[in-house]
Amino acid sequence: MTTFIGDLFDGRSSQAHPVNVTLNEGQLLVSGEAIALAFPLDQIDVDPPVGAARGVVHLPEGRELHSADLDALAALSRATASNRPERWARHLESRLSYALVALLVSVLVIFAGLRWGVPAAAQLATHTLPTSLDRHIGKEALGLMDQFSLSPSQLPLARQQALTRQLAEQCGKQACPSYTLLFRNSKLFGANAMALPGGTIVVTDALVDLAQNDAEILAVIAHELGHVEHRHSLRLALQSIGAGVILVAITGDIGSVTDLAAGLPSLLLQNGYSRDMERQADTYALAWLNTACIPPKHFADILGRLDKDSTDSTTLLDSHPGTPQRIKPFQISPSCR
Amino acid sequence: MSNNKQYPMQFTGRGGEYFVIWIVNIALTLVTLGIYSAWAKVRTLRWFYGHTLLDNQAFSYLASPMQILKGRLIALAALVAYYAASYYSPMLAIALIVIFFLALPWIVVSSLRFRARQSAYRGLRFDFTGTVGEAARIYIGWQLLIIPTLGLILPYIAYRQVKFIAENAVYGQTTARYRGTSKPFWGVYLLAIALILLPLFVIAFGAYQAYSMQAAGASKEIAAAAAGSSMLIGMVSFYLILPVVSALIQSRTANFLYNPTMLGPVGFDSNQRARDLIWIYLSNLVLIALTLGIFIPWAKVRLARYRAERLTVTGPADLGQFAAGQQQSSTATGAEMADLFDLNIGLT
Repeated sequence: MTTFIGDLFDGRSSQAHPVNVTLNEGQLLVSGEAIALAFPLDQIDVDPPVGAARGVVHLPEGRELHSADLDALAALSRATASNRPERWARHLESRLSYALVALLVSVLVIFAGLRWGVPAAAQLATHTLPTSLDRHIGKEALGLMDQFSLSPSQLPLARQQALTRQLAEQCGKQACPSYTLLFRNSKLFGANAMALPGGTIVVTDALVDLAQNDAEILAVIAHELGHVEHRHSLRLALQSIGAGVILVAITGDIGSVTDLAAGLPSLLLQNGYSRDMERQADTYALAWLNTACIPPKHFADILGRLDKDSTDSTTLLDSHPGTPQRIKPFQISPSCR
Repeated sequence: MSNNKQYPMQFTGRGGEYFVIWIVNIALTLVTLGIYSAWAKVRTLRWFYGHTLLDNQAFSYLASPMQILKGRLIALAALVAYYAASYYSPMLAIALIVIFFLALPWIVVSSLRFRARQSAYRGLRFDFTGTVGEAARIYIGWQLLIIPTLGLILPYIAYRQVKFIAENAVYGQTTARYRGTSKPFWGVYLLAIALILLPLFVIAFGAYQAYSMQAAGASKEIAAAAAGSSMLIGMVSFYLILPVVSALIQSRTANFLYNPTMLGPVGFDSNQRARDLIWIYLSNLVLIALTLGIFIPWAKVRLARYRAERLTVTGPADLGQFAAGQQQSSTATGAEMADLFDLNIGLT
């Protein structure tokens, strides 16, 4: 038998009626001055207490019973067997050690979610989404970039056509993902090459100027073909959505995330590929160059030069693994069958 | 019956107590992939309401977690649609923003209504009777005048919003009356605009100085450094001034909302001060950053305690004379949309 005191409100006026409450044999008895009420337990709804805040019991016909006797309210909540999830939460909130475990769990889940969960989910989603989506996004992104950060190429048309032809020749001999090769001038990107979703590869004039021979340019394009083959840019876009969702879940603040959405197409590139993606693209490029009978050291050469050329904002390099490590396999593998 | 008894608002919650609730909420929300967030919200609000006392009676929050969850799922679907659209086609995303803008009055009204109807004091619910048409006039109609008037209409719009919120508030069957004018809003907003323009003046002055230094024969590098440093000072002071301006506007708006409002025989006396709120905001910001977020619960409690401390209700010797209105239900969709899209409607 549980007994406690509280205030009864009849739901018709704001008058408080001090009452004694007794829980006895499946009935809640409420008594006070000119008040004698009895309610079966299945008609009452107890809000499980939160912290040390006053608790509320909802009674039929809009009546409310308020009490500061939290132990009694917790007992009443157990007796009515309602609101089970909240009773568990109440239990977890009751001890500091549980709170510390909760803190640890939160940190681990956030970390694991961002580090492994989101990339894995993005990869899975990439496989299920149609390639027409990539092409569409790529088209939109290119449109925006052409407006804001890219200008028409200053290279002679003959030079552009020669490079396009060389790539087409190689892709006639071995399997390449479907691509479109474009040349653009860009102050912002400097010497750079980018793979947009859907297979559009943009090579900047500065990169063509930086290269000492065409083989170096083809080597960089081979690396970008690797990104296209694995649909890395779509994966990256999906990852940034996933990370955004996690951030929203934690902070409950969508404002900063919608701001991100505005600068999306450029974010897509500037955010940079992860190291795993770079390694995948490098592996692809190495195999491609070997099949094409182009000495892989050309890739190492131009990469080394790009690395030194760090005055420009070289997004190609920002999130890339350390250049010396990357260059190594390209220097010791001259095989050509 | 004397009609001038003072009832100070009290907040009795403690930061440490809230920390435990907060961190358990986060952990359970993460582990359940967000489903628990509805329960988390209800428990959090119940805690804040249950610790807010007036005349030694607590407020109560009545929404059920399932209501919140439903509203949240619908709002989330809208957000996902917007996201998907912004990736697939910016034009479609713009169309959705326009639709959202047109739906804004409905979102505002249903959000205010939901919040009011799920709040109770002494067993009586609050309500909000503002109409969508009225909200459309204030939240769309008047807003269209911002650009032609170079923003000078802003104080008047703020006044209309406060009036809309105040005079449509209902407790039981008693509707509030609002006797405020737009006059005090002008001073506050002019000060706010001046504060925001200050960093721009710093930058402009730096540019002018650099120009005159170069004209006087200083080298290009020195002039550029001067311009750059004033630019940096301007940017930093801009980010410092933002919380200051927001504290100024929030404290004054709270006073302008409460003080001219009468709820039947009950009046309000709110005396929040901008400098107190600025101090709370800035120190909270620093402490949250230093503790990597752990301080958040204490920060929220500090703010709640300050707001309660600064509000006094004046009324009859017995607050038990209010009568109940008709019970009406409402859905959480609009309120959750407002939350998810980070709309700041009204005051908390």
